[in-house]
Amino acid sequence: MVRRVLSLPSGRIAVGLLVLIALLAALGPVLAPQDPLATSDNTLASVSWSHWLGTDYLGRDTFSRLLDGSRVSVLASLEVALVALGVGAVPGILSVYLGRVFEWGTLRLADTLVALPFLLFAVAVTALLGNGLTQAMLVTGVLVSPLFYRVSRAATLAVARSQYVEAAIISGASVGWVVRRHVWAKVLPPIAIALAQTIGVGFIIVSSLTFLGIGVQPPAPTWGGLLASDLGYLDYQPWAPLAPAILIMLTVWASNLLADTIRDVSGEAGRAFVTHRRDVRSAHDASDQNATAHSGGAR
Amino acid sequence: MSLRHTTHRLRGAALGAVLALSLSTTLAACGGDSSASGASGGDATLKWASSYFPTHWDPVVSGSGAQFRQLALVYASLTRTDKDGKAVPDLAESWDYNAAGDQVTFHLRKGLKFTDGTPVDGTAIKDAIERAQKQKNSALFGDLTSIKTVTADGLDVVLDLSQVDYQIPQLLGERVLQVASPRAAADPEKLDQAPIGAGPFTITQLVPGTKAVLEKNPDYWDAKNIHIDKVELVSAPDASTVVNGLKTGVYNFADLDPSQAGAAKKAGLDVFVQPGFNASNISINVNKKPFTDPKVVDAVRYAVDRQEFVDKLTFGYGAVTDQPFPKEYVAYDPQSEDPYPYDPEKAKQLLTEAGYKQGQVKLDLVIPAATPEAEIVQSQLGAVGIKVNIKVDKNWATPFFAKDLTLSLYGTTGRDSAVQTLTAHFGPDGPLNLSTPYEPAGFEAAVAKVRQTPLDAADYPQVLQAATRAGLKSGALVFTYSSPNLFTKTKKISDLTPIPGHVDWTGVTIGDD
Repeated sequence: MVRRVLSLPSGRIAVGLLVLIALLAALGPVLAPQDPLATSDNTLASVSWSHWLGTDYLGRDTFSRLLDGSRVSVLASLEVALVALGVGAVPGILSVYLGRVFEWGTLRLADTLVALPFLLFAVAVTALLGNGLTQAMLVTGVLVSPLFYRVSRAATLAVARSQYVEAAIISGASVGWVVRRHVWAKVLPPIAIALAQTIGVGFIIVSSLTFLGIGVQPPAPTWGGLLASDLGYLDYQPWAPLAPAILIMLTVWASNLLADTIRDVSGEAGRAFVTHRRDVRSAHDASDQNATAHSGGAR
Repeated sequence: MSLRHTTHRLRGAALGAVLALSLSTTLAACGGDSSASGASGGDATLKWASSYFPTHWDPVVSGSGAQFRQLALVYASLTRTDKDGKAVPDLAESWDYNAAGDQVTFHLRKGLKFTDGTPVDGTAIKDAIERAQKQKNSALFGDLTSIKTVTADGLDVVLDLSQVDYQIPQLLGERVLQVASPRAAADPEKLDQAPIGAGPFTITQLVPGTKAVLEKNPDYWDAKNIHIDKVELVSAPDASTVVNGLKTGVYNFADLDPSQAGAAKKAGLDVFVQPGFNASNISINVNKKPFTDPKVVDAVRYAVDRQEFVDKLTFGYGAVTDQPFPKEYVAYDPQSEDPYPYDPEKAKQLLTEAGYKQGQVKLDLVIPAATPEAEIVQSQLGAVGIKVNIKVDKNWATPFFAKDLTLSLYGTTGRDSAVQTLTAHFGPDGPLNLSTPYEPAGFEAAVAKVRQTPLDAADYPQVLQAATRAGLKSGALVFTYSSPNLFTKTKKISDLTPIPGHVDWTGVTIGDD
């Protein structure tokens, strides 16, 4: 699957960008050239060699704050996606096998969760449990989980009704064995698509919450928080919101692009698509070589 | 090939035409709206975007904070202040003290009515004062301790005082005694969302927390000097959007964050400062560790670099302050100027003397919303070895006014009575004294002396400044800087009278664009 994703330019771009963002999250605080919390008298300074993205309203180096803030933003969006995956996918698969009561109960629960506005809930949870991103993202992950529930349930239903699974069950295979042997392989691609998409959604949620000042205690920097504070000083630094906005946009775009690519290459149709592209490219390369050979002869 | 190009071109042209048509229709509609509003009987409408949109419209609950300016649209008060900060007639056209100074009689104007038709008389004033003293959720009862009994006699209202107090007319102005209709106030919860007063305007629509629409009250005692027909008061959504709101005509008057002053000027708007008594402070609870040790309190005092607050937060409009009064005000005490100059080394030394190593003192700075001011405090205290964790608590008001916090921030917009300012900050039950019941030694006696001194007495400034001096001995407050009362308006609104701390619409006109 990974090889197939990387065989497409869109997959390479998406993975490349996401690896870059992951590196920022891992090494950003170390790479920050200056202390992101150190204030100075040089407030709202323009871009310079000493301050690549200028300074903020308290004279702190914006580039260092952007690097330092990447970790919180990335980890929080991963938290949303992984919680949603954990809470949604397993009941989604099991709802097909664990009887009608479990199926009915989980379906109604998923319907209920879909009806709840996750941003408002995240705000409410921080008001109740204290202003922390972890608890806000935990709740958001649970509220986003119906996506995984439905995707994994739909894929499992398709597999469970196939003849080879029925044959396996008639032959005495247990539910666990069927899930491990047959269901996982079919369910994983749609889950991978949903996961990539949810990372993007999670990023938007994290950025929105931190933009509103929820979840992170000052002076800790986040991309959303930087964007929010920059908007207050547009008269002095009209370009300042660009850097955090572009980073947020790129990350979400790369996540969606990865989801699209996984969708394109997954399953038999995906395998055929990749093979077809490879054949087309080979033919194109061959015609290019021929053309080069001909023009070389003419020269 | 050429056919496809032609088709594309035609499609592009058609799309452009549709866009141009819809744009011109939209613009025409906008233009039509504005011309329509201009032509609707020539109504002068004030469109005020305020960052202090009232949470409560019952003046007794709303208290003396900055929101009194918005409530003053609806409510008249017993007295008001002029541009020198002195009490002048409002609902009361005059007043007089007895010889002993422990009884004051206010004489009300004749023939006034609240907008629900209830007469403005002595009974209404008595009801307003007693409600402020007794209502369970009153934010004003602590300011009225000098008033023992209130007697109504027709258009006269007699206040018997528990002590000689010449501050009463100064006190019973817009910040403390905005008078609601007693009939409406019989149900305080309803009044809180449907205010009825005898002020210059009457509310016609109120969307809680968002918007209020008011119309001129023709029965207001000074209606002839109110030239505004309608007010649309809205809660300013965000400081950075205010200037655009004025540029596009959504508002024509707004409170302005200093960071937006440059943008407002560039947009051709009037930017002006109303005089006032704004003073921000670091609130300390000396009843809680580590501030039970006066050396730690002193360490904080020496750690504060006031100029940094001014430079980074006020964009040239503010000033450093170490008192709750501006330098030009009569209550400012020159003898108390800068008793704790910025000296981080001394602060560190004091912490060491108190037995704390660097970084050993860890404190939660609890505030209602994240502000750059809190980050400066954190940075300055961090520089001397006090580790501050900023904790944003949306329910901050409850622990703050219950005096449960150890460290917080507060900013006052002042009071019309200097004594009220002093007691609010330094008094044992002062709402802004985080260290209740603590008060500095000699403060109570100094304040009593001010109350006993007529405001026109020759020694009044000295007596008042002595009380300020006594209050400033308090370890519970470290004053930092004074932010300006900054406003912006379109040029068609005439200048406001510079009354300290107030926004007074008397005489203000709104012309055509």
